[in-house]
Amino acid sequence: MYSQPKNLSTALKNMLTNALTAFMYVFLFIASVWISLANAKDDKKIYHLSIKHHIFTPTTLTIPANEKVKIIIENHDDVAEEFESFDLNREKVIFAGRKSTIYVGPLPEGTYEYFGEFHPNTARGKIIVVEMKP
Amino acid sequence: MNNPMITIKHVLTVFLLLSSINVFADGMVVDKVYHPYVIANEQEFEWRFMSSQTPDSNVLAQRLGYGQSILENFAIELYVIGERDETGDFKLQATEVEARWMLTEQGQYWADWGAVFEFEKRRNTSQYEASAGLIVEKEFNKNSLTVNLFVIKEWGNNIENEWEAEFRLQYRYRYLPSLQPSIEIYTGEDFIGIGPGFMGVKRFNGQKQLKWEAGFITEVAHSGKNHTLRFSIEYEF
Repeated sequence: MYSQPKNLSTALKNMLTNALTAFMYVFLFIASVWISLANAKDDKKIYHLSIKHHIFTPTTLTIPANEKVKIIIENHDDVAEEFESFDLNREKVIFAGRKSTIYVGPLPEGTYEYFGEFHPNTARGKIIVVEMKP
Repeated sequence: MNNPMITIKHVLTVFLLLSSINVFADGMVVDKVYHPYVIANEQEFEWRFMSSQTPDSNVLAQRLGYGQSILENFAIELYVIGERDETGDFKLQATEVEARWMLTEQGQYWADWGAVFEFEKRRNTSQYEASAGLIVEKEFNKNSLTVNLFVIKEWGNNIENEWEAEFRLQYRYRYLPSLQPSIEIYTGEDFIGIGPGFMGVKRFNGQKQLKWEAGFITEVAHSGKNHTLRFSIEYEF
């Protein structure tokens, strides 16, 4: 079946109808997923990192193995920093004077390095993952 | 509705049903496997190359794009697309606008979710394509499994007015930043392809980084030669 729009307004109307149908169809599914995820319980252990004078504190953070944790990073500097780690597979901009959250794990035991992409010489740290007894 | 796993199963079921729609082949299925992440304050230039060879044709498509994140979780990218036409000339054939939306924080849930929306207009003719895709990525230690499910609508003059569905999958081992081998699967438009690929990244100062991706996909659903080489380079800053 071939469509042959008779004039510009018909073509425009067809275009808008088709585009809106396609986008609304998927948007509804995405919205339902998002709402469900937003309502999911968040009971992960919380750890904190801060950035001051382009240095992460503490420089070594110990977290439990095989468990997902939440790390809240607060940037006290007046410029943004980017938390970057290939080991952890995370990349996140932390805006000046703001807090941001990254989720890490579950990970096996080991040492995972990270750095601040905008100040890589000073902003460096490690996350050490260890088995913790309950 | 409060159980995310049930909702995710419903979404995947619907998209898998859509993926089984059998449609006429009129485009290249092998393209990029999208990841569900957006980095704030990021701009990029992108070059994509795709060459597909069959006994009857040698299709070549390239695209140049510029994109930037306009929110912490939302990015826009504009492309110009060049393709080899029926006379063998390589010409600008289409323009496209793309929006990527990071739906969940990386690592927060069982899997990471994103969405991509594309709108393409063919040059000098009233042919259009709108697509919406769901992106899911799951990490297993140093491995990442990424799935893209697209619903596509094509319409306009001299083109079949049709719905299509495409499925893309990439299983990647994050061996080194510069070398992350993968296996990729593409289905859609009466096409099932599989093949090896790799991606890598080289970081420079600040947010500057160069990313590369390549894949060699072989069509396996039909007899006869049908290979597609794809690669892309992105400069992010």
